[in-house]
Amino acid sequence: MKHIDKLKAAKNRSTLYSNIRNFFNQKNYLEVETPSLSPTLIPESTIENFSTQFTSEFLPSKELYLIPSPEIFMKQLISEGFPSIYQFSKCFRNSEQIGKQHNIEFTMLEYYSINMDEQDSIELTSEMIRKTHLKDCPSWALPPFRKMSVNDAMKQYCDVDLEKCQKQSLLYEKAIKLGLSNVKRNESWESTFNRIFLTFVEPNLPQDKPLILDNYPKQIDCLATNDKSSPFKKRWEMYIGGLEVANCYDELKDKEKVEEYYKKEYSTLIRERSLTNRVIPDIDHEYHEIFNSFPQTSGVAIGMDRLLMSQMNIDNIEGVILFPFSDIIR
Amino acid sequence: MIKAGQIDKGTALLIKGQPFVCIDREFVNPGKGSAFVRLKLKNPGTGQILAETMKSQDNAEDITVEDRDCQYLYNDGESFHLMLTDTYDQIEVPMANFPDYEFLMKDGDTYRCTFWEEQLLDIQIPSKVVYLVAEAEEAIKGDTVQGATKYVVTETGLKVKCPIFIKQGEKIRVNTETKEYLERVNS
Repeated sequence: MKHIDKLKAAKNRSTLYSNIRNFFNQKNYLEVETPSLSPTLIPESTIENFSTQFTSEFLPSKELYLIPSPEIFMKQLISEGFPSIYQFSKCFRNSEQIGKQHNIEFTMLEYYSINMDEQDSIELTSEMIRKTHLKDCPSWALPPFRKMSVNDAMKQYCDVDLEKCQKQSLLYEKAIKLGLSNVKRNESWESTFNRIFLTFVEPNLPQDKPLILDNYPKQIDCLATNDKSSPFKKRWEMYIGGLEVANCYDELKDKEKVEEYYKKEYSTLIRERSLTNRVIPDIDHEYHEIFNSFPQTSGVAIGMDRLLMSQMNIDNIEGVILFPFSDIIR
Repeated sequence: MIKAGQIDKGTALLIKGQPFVCIDREFVNPGKGSAFVRLKLKNPGTGQILAETMKSQDNAEDITVEDRDCQYLYNDGESFHLMLTDTYDQIEVPMANFPDYEFLMKDGDTYRCTFWEEQLLDIQIPSKVVYLVAEAEEAIKGDTVQGATKYVVTETGLKVKCPIFIKQGEKIRVNTETKEYLERVNS
């Protein structure tokens, strides 16, 4: 990056952060700061982790992990009775592709809104972008948002109705009909879904306005609540200019379900990683206890580097990061 | 076999018994999902384009291809006629499989070509090529607007947007992927 572009990126980032802080402060959200190093993580088998060693003359040494998201600590604050909170947090994801859309260390804006659900979070996020965006932001990166359910997108772009394909065998048949050659008969429903979605849907999503893609399949396990009347979760992702920028849940607060998620996801993680030298993080087996007192909450995570890219109309993440990872490891 | 994560532009694969060459590759990590590679593949024999998404840990069947030199002789409007420079054997490939190549290849020039079991998969055109300007409009007098452009036509029939100072008989360097003018070449 040239010096002049670097300075512009730094100034834009500073302006955007300050606008967003003002926005949330005016709404009485409390800015919090939680640790980047943690002795346990929320199990997520698809996210690779960084580990490091705590050493001390007085205490036993311990393995610590760089957080892939501040969720683990922010939810703890909510359970302790905090009001709605937000944070700009450095997050770390190992093994991610180094390139135009990823940097292994990146900044997440995460906000948890009490007494709100994922639909309320759409309104809040729209208002936030409308009131805080950079001066020269292109109109395709600004509200009003478009909204579409994952199933409507699947029906529209590849004629697959997920409600009718709840079994992997049925989805597999569809994938073969669509011409995918690498799909496996015995793989997970989620894998087959991802192959179809990433090949035929994601590249064709409208890009003229930010898009809220909601109601993700319940087979993609995560800490969002299930919709009671359909096989989908109360979860959305926001795409801006075709790039995934945000993720939102109606937060799961049923402690049995959280415990069940922890057990299932951790066993997947261990099974997939035990024969390799990938990091297997410790988890807190009692984490679900914080959900004894957890209010109705919706949480949103926004990749700030990607949000900046859209508002500066830059298609490479390295154009908004002063010291991109690919430069510093050279 | 190779891991899908190692597939790159130009990698040749066997899919359902047919050879395909990767023409575009993009890594994607869905929000809550493992790493995938989104591929655009082309069957050079039929021109068929295939979209495919593989998990980066999936196995894919790669095929061993060899590069050989071929001299481009001519086209007859339907096929390109080339000659293998080592055996002098002539080969014919449908022009439709290599769109726009008739405007990029120069008669008599030699190109590296990729073969799989006698089948021509790819004609490798260098990314930057010097062409002679065969036709150029005269610049309009008094047109001094900075950055003004016009179209010229090269010896191969390629239409290129150029700065107005380029004249007929001059040589220009062109990016063959984007078909954009790069610079004037002094001969």
